Amino acid sequence: MIELMNNQLTFRFPEVHKKAACSIDFQRTLRIPDDNRDYPLPPGLGRFPVEHVDDFADKLPDTWRTHGGVFIPMYQSEALWINFSGDYPCAVKIAAGKINAVSGESWSNGLSADPQDYAVIPDQPWLDGFNVSEDFIRQFVAMPLGEGFSAEEQITGKAEYGGLQIIVYPMKRDVYAEHFERVVEADLDYLEMPMFCRSACASAAPDMGLAPGGLMRQKIYEDEYGLDAWDLDNGFRCFVHLANSEQYQMITGHQPPHKPANARDYAKAGLPWFDYYDDSKALPGSDTLSKLTSVAAKMIGKGNATLSNNDPVQPKVIKIISKANLVRDGEF
Amino acid sequence: MTFGEYIREHREALKSQDRRFSVRQVAQRIGVEPAYLSKIERGDVAPPSEAKIRALAEELGEDPDVLLAMAGKVSSDLQEIIRKRPQLFADLIRQLKSAPDHALLRIARDVRDGDW
Repeated sequence: MIELMNNQLTFRFPEVHKKAACSIDFQRTLRIPDDNRDYPLPPGLGRFPVEHVDDFADKLPDTWRTHGGVFIPMYQSEALWINFSGDYPCAVKIAAGKINAVSGESWSNGLSADPQDYAVIPDQPWLDGFNVSEDFIRQFVAMPLGEGFSAEEQITGKAEYGGLQIIVYPMKRDVYAEHFERVVEADLDYLEMPMFCRSACASAAPDMGLAPGGLMRQKIYEDEYGLDAWDLDNGFRCFVHLANSEQYQMITGHQPPHKPANARDYAKAGLPWFDYYDDSKALPGSDTLSKLTSVAAKMIGKGNATLSNNDPVQPKVIKIISKANLVRDGEF
Repeated sequence: MTFGEYIREHREALKSQDRRFSVRQVAQRIGVEPAYLSKIERGDVAPPSEAKIRALAEELGEDPDVLLAMAGKVSSDLQEIIRKRPQLFADLIRQLKSAPDHALLRIARDVRDGDW
């Protein structure tokens, strides 16, 4: 089952193991400049509010009711990152507009090993964008669906789904027991166990899709357990719609969060950026995703106005974070 | 374990890492006299009000519903929920009293998956 509490989705698999659960939330963040320079990880500025589609069904498009799931408000050209937490290993597949954010392939249930089309929690603490090359992603940036910016539209030529799609599979019970429970019985140093408990327009339709933004240093890690470790009979999936923030207010009556600060002001204020250190093996980038045109380049190509607040920035403070210290909060 | 013993044990555990969890400082932060907190911990007086239990829970990083239950209280928001539909919720709780945890989790509100 998937539970929504405190703007966080919790996927639980009590049939598999009482500890089998993982949580996902969507973090507000800075949009990094889309200028082909690479940037460190921007901060988390708090969770996006998340609402059940069913609670506002009469005010939402029919397709949203059909998809079910939840929705979050985003401003045009606002960025987000996806925050994973939980210490029971799970395989998580993330797509934007039903385009897999790791492999660039079209959506399918299940998992694929070649190319690997999922991330493994808790090894992967977060995902900020599309996997364009080894060690680099292009930031998830919300753009109105139908204007040609989203990864979905660039790859399929259609603006059909938008939003984010997530499916989570827990590790099989016996594999978990073999890797983790036996280690405890053997009385090995507990600190050697993986312990990653976690201490983010004016369109006529509310639909937004995620487009590739600026380049960021982030690895997507190879699955060290192998495809057979995952319990494919016990997955749960969720469609996360992206509602234009102005329309979100009309739909829900709730005020959306204010627009995040721009990267330049944030960097100028000397506030921290982050680099995550983990020497685990990274997946190669997806050829399909590497060929996408970023939002800024697309705007120039379309002869539109250029992307606002897109000047290069020089992050002054870069904090190195590791598995033991996964805090990536910013204040502004 | 009584409410007071539980609070003392957890506060002392935190105090061994951080001196800000002394009786005096915790009492100050939750807005009671240190002597009163001491009496609560010793069980000399009844557990405090819901608001103070919630403040203690936040201070000690504990679940407020668990602390309230230990103090023999039910959170006011839960009382309100039951008061609005007393027959339905009383019946539901009685029927579920022996259900295993995973069955209870199943009846919590699920995010609905649709067709996509």
